[in-house]
Amino acid sequence: MGEKQEILQQLAQAVVEMDEEAAVTVAEQAFRVGIDPYEAITDGLTVGMGIVNEKFENEEYFVPEILLCADAMYAGLEVLRPHLKIEAASHHARVVIGVVEGDTHDIGKNLVKMMLETAALEVYDLGRNVPLHDFVDKALEIDAQMICLSTLMTTTMDGMKKVVDILEEKGVRDRFVVMVGGGPISQTFADSIGADGYAANAAAAVRKANELIENMVTA
Amino acid sequence: MTNTLSDQMTPKQRMACFLQGQEVDRPPCAPLILNHAARVSGVKISEYNQDGRTMGAAHVAAFKEYGHDFIFIFSTTSTLAEAMGTKLFFPDDDAPWVEEPVVRQPADLAKVRTVDPQRDGRLPVYLEATRLCCDRIGEDVFVGCVFSGPFTTAAALRGTENFVKETYKNPELVHKLLTLALDNALIFVDAILAAGGIPVLVEPVASGSLISPVMFKKFALPYLKPIVEKIQQANLPCILHICGKTTKVVELMADTGANALSLDVIDLAEAKEKVGDRVCLIGNVNPAKTMLKGGPRDVAREARACLARAGDNPAGFILSSGCEVPINTRPANIHAMIDAARSYRPQAGL
Repeated sequence: MGEKQEILQQLAQAVVEMDEEAAVTVAEQAFRVGIDPYEAITDGLTVGMGIVNEKFENEEYFVPEILLCADAMYAGLEVLRPHLKIEAASHHARVVIGVVEGDTHDIGKNLVKMMLETAALEVYDLGRNVPLHDFVDKALEIDAQMICLSTLMTTTMDGMKKVVDILEEKGVRDRFVVMVGGGPISQTFADSIGADGYAANAAAAVRKANELIENMVTA
Repeated sequence: MTNTLSDQMTPKQRMACFLQGQEVDRPPCAPLILNHAARVSGVKISEYNQDGRTMGAAHVAAFKEYGHDFIFIFSTTSTLAEAMGTKLFFPDDDAPWVEEPVVRQPADLAKVRTVDPQRDGRLPVYLEATRLCCDRIGEDVFVGCVFSGPFTTAAALRGTENFVKETYKNPELVHKLLTLALDNALIFVDAILAAGGIPVLVEPVASGSLISPVMFKKFALPYLKPIVEKIQQANLPCILHICGKTTKVVELMADTGANALSLDVIDLAEAKEKVGDRVCLIGNVNPAKTMLKGGPRDVAREARACLARAGDNPAGFILSSGCEVPINTRPANIHAMIDAARSYRPQAGL
């Protein structure tokens, strides 16, 4: 195996093994030996998160493991990002994400955000307990393709419908795909409020997001 | 309350016989009516959760409306952490959430209080509500008072994300937090017992939706066992509730020694197969999809399905919701669940 392949593999491994320090060291090494930062991210760190994703779906990894893998990934990203050529990142789809008003449970949202970023989407995170209008305002402001809404509570899930309603009222519903998720959310609920997609977990969310955005582009 | 189906026993008689393995008129039904009680008595959630008399009166009203088989005094899973120093935020008409964990950095461990249940946080609110229910309806129904297990309390002391990461990065701190949470849980258990309530243990952050069975075994199980033992030493059964996915941890939940497991996302037939000879099962009508968003017929159908899967559980079965009955659930849906238990005929087939 060439040096480059080995380094890329080590980057992936650092992510899978939740090793923040190794991610930084190997990322620095990648830059030193002249590996294109974009390649180090997509063929190294992202490959690692792909494996993490699989382990999550197989219930081999759970929330603590994913959070630590993400820390390792972000640590590596921080080293590589300043060296990225701008055009590499500019054509990605933009996503607005947040936990709807009245709810502060944000671990699920954070996992989805991270997975979307790993899949090279540009994610604008509005945080938790987000006023419903803010989702629409931000999506319009940055000309997003997608709005992701999360909640763990039954008292706040109807806020998701309000976001869809606001989009309708403003006559901009067609400009965005709306994806919903979280503990009490189901496909039935997503259909009932007129959302475009639902995902049961963070791994499924990435697949669904890509699928929805692709359909949107080709439609 | 209009019942075409009549009960032969009071909820208390039914539950007492059930727990002793004696014959009962029909399967017990104990939906997790928690904050929803405020809707029955017509007060806001912020009124319900700040005053013991208001909280207790809400549960008395709920019992008069539904006649369910067990009372659960509860506001949030962070109540013990709150009494230990974590700050909560209280929305006007919804359950509170953690605003600022007390342990923002490891050195803050010293800031964690040892609770005085008669004084700290809203523990006195729970205790007053418990006493009030025991006074008013204690002859007819057992009154439970819900508190969180060490893993859940520790997460609320430290912030859940930090806490679960530190199970890897700083296990020593995690064990210190868990020990503090355990010590304080035991103090609160004593106070609940003195108030006449049955302590009900919940450990939602150790859900299979969040952590692995390996981690459960290492960080949740050892700290749950002493609590279960303490409750049993008072000659009371210990109910352990964990919501979210529990298929992979249900055996470990039974290993705590608890008498009954309240389960959420799991196939009850599978749970019966795995642990049904050891523990009573409680569950698991879907809270959001069915209780909140469904109608009485959906609830009845799912309740009958639960009874079909686990009604013959060797160590017993109590029909319930998988997790808290959503605050804004229609009363008709709760009646439908209890009616499903009333009309259950095991021999008749379903």
